[in-house]
Amino acid sequence: MISAYLIHVAIIICIDLVLALSLQISIGYAGLLNFGHIAFFGIGAYTSALLTMQGVPWIIALLCAGIIPMFFAYLLSIPTNRLKGDYLALATMGFSFVIYALMLNWNSLTKGPLGIPGITKPIIFGLKISNNLSFLILALVITGLTYSILHKIVKSPFGNLLQATRDDEDAAKALGKNTFKIKTIGLMISAFFAGIAGSLYAHYITFIDPSSFAMMMIIPIVCMIIIGGLASLKGTFFATIILVIIPEILRFVGMPSSILGPARQIIYALILIIILIYQPKGFFGKVVLN
Amino acid sequence: MFMQLLANGLIAGAIYALIAAGFSLIYKTNKFVHFAHGSVIVAGGYLLYLFYSLIGINFWISVILTIISTALVGLLLNYIVYAKLRERKASPTIMLIASVGLLILIESLVLLIFSADAKTIGFLKVAKGISLFGAIITPLQIVIIITAILLLGFLLWLMKNSSLGKAMRAVSDDKNLSEVLGINTKKIYNYSFIIGSAIAGIAGILVALEQNLEPSMGSNLMIKGFTGAIIGGVSSVPGAILGAFLLGIVENFGIWFLPSGYKDAIAFGLLFIFLLFKPDGLLGIKKGIKK
Amino acid sequence: MLEIKNLKKYFGGIKAVDGCSFKLSDNKITALIGPNGAGKSTVFNLISGFEKKDKGKIFLSSQDITELKPYQISKLGLSRVFQKSRLFNNLTVKENLLISINKDNTQFWNNLLYPNKNKKLFEEKITDVLKLLNITKMKNHIAGDLSFGQKRLVELARAIILPHKILILDEPVAGVNPKIRKDIMKILSILKKQGETILLIEHDMYFTLNISDHIIVMDEGKVIAEGTPAQIKKNKKVLEAYLGD
Repeated sequence: MISAYLIHVAIIICIDLVLALSLQISIGYAGLLNFGHIAFFGIGAYTSALLTMQGVPWIIALLCAGIIPMFFAYLLSIPTNRLKGDYLALATMGFSFVIYALMLNWNSLTKGPLGIPGITKPIIFGLKISNNLSFLILALVITGLTYSILHKIVKSPFGNLLQATRDDEDAAKALGKNTFKIKTIGLMISAFFAGIAGSLYAHYITFIDPSSFAMMMIIPIVCMIIIGGLASLKGTFFATIILVIIPEILRFVGMPSSILGPARQIIYALILIIILIYQPKGFFGKVVLN
Repeated sequence: MFMQLLANGLIAGAIYALIAAGFSLIYKTNKFVHFAHGSVIVAGGYLLYLFYSLIGINFWISVILTIISTALVGLLLNYIVYAKLRERKASPTIMLIASVGLLILIESLVLLIFSADAKTIGFLKVAKGISLFGAIITPLQIVIIITAILLLGFLLWLMKNSSLGKAMRAVSDDKNLSEVLGINTKKIYNYSFIIGSAIAGIAGILVALEQNLEPSMGSNLMIKGFTGAIIGGVSSVPGAILGAFLLGIVENFGIWFLPSGYKDAIAFGLLFIFLLFKPDGLLGIKKGIKK
Repeated sequence: MLEIKNLKKYFGGIKAVDGCSFKLSDNKITALIGPNGAGKSTVFNLISGFEKKDKGKIFLSSQDITELKPYQISKLGLSRVFQKSRLFNNLTVKENLLISINKDNTQFWNNLLYPNKNKKLFEEKITDVLKLLNITKMKNHIAGDLSFGQKRLVELARAIILPHKILILDEPVAGVNPKIRKDIMKILSILKKQGETILLIEHDMYFTLNISDHIIVMDEGKVIAEGTPAQIKKNKKVLEAYLGD
């Protein structure tokens, strides 16, 4: 019993970690305050769910769940190229909401508010991921791959350039760098992994509806990347684990679900605000948002 | 049909205008997006519910208590959180993120205390609609429009003619110069939150009377108000008011053409478009988006 | 190599640049001077593409660069130092220079698969330029932590290490202490001996008269005089513009 619960928590940590790492690339490394990031998560989830329902093999569906959001990221980056900081945050919130409205109203595609039930568990080369333990292993593999790929990217010269663009875009332009292309690629990378997280989510919970992808669902993820420290993958790793575990501890000591939900949000909000005031670099970060 | 849509647009616009005006006042003075303003509005609605529906205090006294309480809430947010961030020279982006955190905090507290089910406040609600110029409109809705117009007119007069209003505009234009000239900028920041949040309280009261109360309404209302402010020019209180009315009207005419489920998306779509192409709004002063 | 023809730029009612023309001589240090508000920084922004002109043309190596974007102009050989310190503050000095010298870092896949391409070559060039500017000790410091003068030196290093044909420097010695000012003068002379073409804006007259081969004087958006330092010192129009009359 306990072990089933721990496996569940571990899977949730994996999904949130992939999502948080993807947002870290966007906000921490590229300096793009994309508050609409949940839209990529949701698009990935729906893509994966709908494709597998049409009989597409899960591995292909997973890849598509990563790739389709990249198109949206490209489209988003064009008009938002000139926006900075808070204006960018608000415009991307608007984007997130428009996608949410589409999920809610495009009934023929997404089944609207009813959502999509009965999403199949992944089948990889004939092997069915039928229980949670095997799903955990799958999630760990994907999370591990995500972390190592992102680590390679941020340590590469491109990663360096992405950070330079974040620090001073005009200076980067003056050094001959096409900053629009760089920011766009950064956003597309973050969209890809958000979509992957979305696929994992859809096939674990086996039911998705628009409410999981409302705009404000981004807040716990934002907490994770700021508390861990901006531009630190390691920080995101630790912060995500801690932030997922804290409410679970509360559940363990018997807090009823109706209180648990808001209590979790309150804790996240308080920690976020305290960190922003007293330790804006978070625990492992080197960067303060400009 | 046209008159009905126009009436609906004005009613929605009136509420958005109250939201936008308070927000714009705070934004103009403090130079950051106080996103938590949305939750202050919601808190206002729930406080009225608390005083009037739960405790049973006389309606008008409840209204006054609510307005004072929401003004206090806004003041506390500034005093406890924003002032500290300002001391540490936090960027507007950090202030925005903190503000979103505060919105979540307040909404979660409301959810905790009052639970998620929708609340209604039975006052002026069950009244028949009157026919006016071809549109059906309830007495409450007329009250909303008139209250908004009177209040906002008073606010504009205050901003233009009172010494407080002038001081706020001075701080908004040039904080350092204002300090040199002897204006107590800390006090001005506090006043902007008191006044802006009091107006938010009134907006919350009207929303509570007109619709059902739900804890999560804050972000939605905030974005509507913010969009209105952006359309009209976020640094200009009269601009924000005008933009908000326009938003209400466009929204309601918009669902003539689009499925009604997309009503909210109209506001967000407009927000997106204006931020991209006309960030200074229709009337606004140049703020300057970085190239 | 660099030529501007009848450049005009208006900000609302203000004529920041009002018919400015000059031809820059190769392999020389040219200074652009003039009282505040003369339009010098605007000219720099126009040349480097950060402002769009209202009228006129700009040529780099006979190529019309008037309508190009900043990064395209930079790729054609223009290397610029800004008036305000514009380092990548969260990166180290070495990483700042790597950004500059590595032309391929925008190639995403290339970088991912071959992160160490040219690593040795870059290391050598970086070591050289750090030595030239006497900031070798700063190599692994975070740029944002440096003092003002050190930052200016790093900016200069970053601009020098960028493959370029012409350097334009906006107030390279403004606000630096006398020692660093002397260092920068020495560095610029070394660069000139290496055949560099340099255009700079400065208010520091001692610096300008001693380092420049040629001086262009602007006032109210136009060029009012050109010549050697000796000629400019004696030029009546220049004295009027600076002292008012």
